[in-house]
Amino acid sequence: MTASPPPPRLAEGEPLVHVRDLAVHFDGVAAVTQVDLEAYAGQGLALLGRNGAGKSTTMRVLAGVVPATGGLVRVAGADPRLQPMVVKRAIGYCPDVGGLVPRATPWEHLQLSARLRRLRDWEDRGRELLERFDLGDAMHRVTAGFSHGMGRRLSVALAALHDPMVLLLDEPFDGVDPTGVEATLEVIADARARGAAVLVSTHLRDLALEGCDEALVLRGGQVVASLTSDQLRGEEGAGVYRGLLT
Amino acid sequence: MSTAVSSPEGPAGAPPPEELPRAYHFDLGQVVRALGDVRTLVRFRVSGIAPASRRRLMVAAAGVGLLTLLIAFVPAQVPGAGAGASARANDVLLLLPAAYLGVLLVALVTAAASGGGRELVPRDLAVAFPVSPTADHLGALIMAPLNIAWILQTWTVLGLTAYALGPGQGLLGNIGMVAAQLLVLTWVLTATAIAQVLAWALEWVRRGPTGVWILRGLMLLSVAAGAALVASGSVTDVLDRSPTVGVAVGVTQGADGAWLGWMVTFTRILVLGAVATAFGAFVARLALRRAPRDEAGLESRRFAPRRTPASDVVALVRIDRATVWRSVPLRRGLTVLAVLPGLVALAGGIGWDVLPILPGLVCAGGALLFGINTWCLDGRGALWRESLPVSPGLGFAVRSWVLFEVLVVAEVTTVAIAVWRAGTPTTAMVAAMLVLLVVLPMQVVAASMQWSGRRPFAVDLRSARATPAPPALMVAYSARLALATTLTGVLISTGAFLGAWSFPVVMGVPFALFAARRWVAARDAWLDREARVEVVRVVSG
Repeated sequence: MTASPPPPRLAEGEPLVHVRDLAVHFDGVAAVTQVDLEAYAGQGLALLGRNGAGKSTTMRVLAGVVPATGGLVRVAGADPRLQPMVVKRAIGYCPDVGGLVPRATPWEHLQLSARLRRLRDWEDRGRELLERFDLGDAMHRVTAGFSHGMGRRLSVALAALHDPMVLLLDEPFDGVDPTGVEATLEVIADARARGAAVLVSTHLRDLALEGCDEALVLRGGQVVASLTSDQLRGEEGAGVYRGLLT
Repeated sequence: MSTAVSSPEGPAGAPPPEELPRAYHFDLGQVVRALGDVRTLVRFRVSGIAPASRRRLMVAAAGVGLLTLLIAFVPAQVPGAGAGASARANDVLLLLPAAYLGVLLVALVTAAASGGGRELVPRDLAVAFPVSPTADHLGALIMAPLNIAWILQTWTVLGLTAYALGPGQGLLGNIGMVAAQLLVLTWVLTATAIAQVLAWALEWVRRGPTGVWILRGLMLLSVAAGAALVASGSVTDVLDRSPTVGVAVGVTQGADGAWLGWMVTFTRILVLGAVATAFGAFVARLALRRAPRDEAGLESRRFAPRRTPASDVVALVRIDRATVWRSVPLRRGLTVLAVLPGLVALAGGIGWDVLPILPGLVCAGGALLFGINTWCLDGRGALWRESLPVSPGLGFAVRSWVLFEVLVVAEVTTVAIAVWRAGTPTTAMVAAMLVLLVVLPMQVVAASMQWSGRRPFAVDLRSARATPAPPALMVAYSARLALATTLTGVLISTGAFLGAWSFPVVMGVPFALFAARRWVAARDAWLDREARVEVVRVVSG
């Protein structure tokens, strides 16, 4: 498989994702304020928090889908506002809501992504991903008939197809069966192993900790804590997490 | 719409219980409950409308009401009105039964094409509520008038009736006119209820084993029967025996002050309407017990993979075409839209003088299927698509092109059917038609793309009963599209009567330029990132 053109060169040790004072407002209502985060090559960073904490909005900004209202955002060295194409080539994004065109098949989703990213000889990789996520039998059926979990699994496969430098997975475990969870964790591990930065937004602490070694806890659109996975593990970690949510 | 288990009648689409007949007994309590449900659903629907939009709606409704009153009484005052006053008015009087029958046919086609009528509350919203099939049926009846075809047809019969009857003499004459129009209005409502029963029955057949093929067979039979009637020249004889002759007689009795006859007809129509409404609930229950097979069939069907597209444009066109042609309601709607007006024109022997109106109406209808909210086709995939490395301008151009080609296919099919009995055209008429076949879809695409960007809605077009925008807005859009395209059709075809083929071509240029300018403005708006994000956010739910 031939990957997309490389993004702007990053200096040694520079983070693949660099966010300072991020602010996003919708119709004057603040969805995110003062979010700072950095993710380096090979790092897995979890964004934890309750519904409406600002996790998905932050992910959408990083994916170049939603423009930031304020602050500094760099993804693979590029500003999503000024260089959206560079950012979109560098990332693989699994949105939180569905993220699938209802009357297209999984294979057609892969084809579109591969074509727009100028991938060659991607078919084997595409098939392997669909098989890994147990979607081999459904690859030529429209996604409108998929269950929620099937849709989530396909979204993760789509995000991973082109081996992106930055993998953004928004609620990838939501409604997914154990096989799908395992496959998603494999995708995260593979991406980190080849030097990608992986951001996983979820409210499922245990699963996030399996894929990531650091976590930011968001509440009310702000980062309220930055913790290592060790600090969040076990009963003690659960207590810490619960305390941060309220 | 009905899926909740707590419904007193059981959920629509649920497997049939062991003993069905009990559920079919007429139960007044059930009807009362359903009426209460409908009232609640209407309130729920209205509560979702912003105060400013609600005010606009009230003004629009008052305008429609006023216009209806004017149409019902003003034509009676124009010179030549009244069957005894002119030959034309006499002809109109003779045509009234056919016009009343037309009301029934339009209501039937609309309800049947939308899988049993529009939903009061979209299926995905109503899924959590115990909405019974009876409430669903009553909701569909309430929604039926929120359709430009229904409104136009009602205005047509009211206007024709007023013109055919002429001015009433004195107070009694005016009361007679009111009574006559009251009868017409009652017939329109009854015809809507009858059409709803037939539409549910057709939906029941369609959802049954091999139902789709049975319906296709029925359609072919209807076409063959229509063709046989036309070929044998017996259309007039059949129309003379239409049951709507009785309605026309009742109308004239009302206008003449023959109150007993009027009262008998009025009561019969009223009773027929009440029976149709009640029976409709029964048939709706039967139909909604069955799962929609073609939707399920489409979702479980395997689509053969094709080679990876050679360009970005091909890739985008391919996926956009799939979203249109793999949608059950869109495919069905487009087929009806492409074929039916052509068949009606064929049966009526419409000539080249009227033919140019057809492409505009077909284009407007096509846009109303999805074009006016075109980004909703991506559904929740809109977010993913927005994250792909492709210029938004290209996505906009491709979506416009796909809408354009869909409209062209529909209008060309209509015209290809209609021309068979239209006579021999002049070169100028052919030129006018060719200009219209290009300019009208351009106009409609430009308007649709603009509206899609300005007023997006999250709509799941899986169901044949879904509409791409809220009902009142659909009426407003359809009125604007129908008016614009009809005027364009009339103006450009007028050029053909001036003689030279170049006249309609030259006349088409400003229309094309205006449409292009509007399209560019819509594209510029789409390229604005903030505006695009808002559309994506809304359509992805």
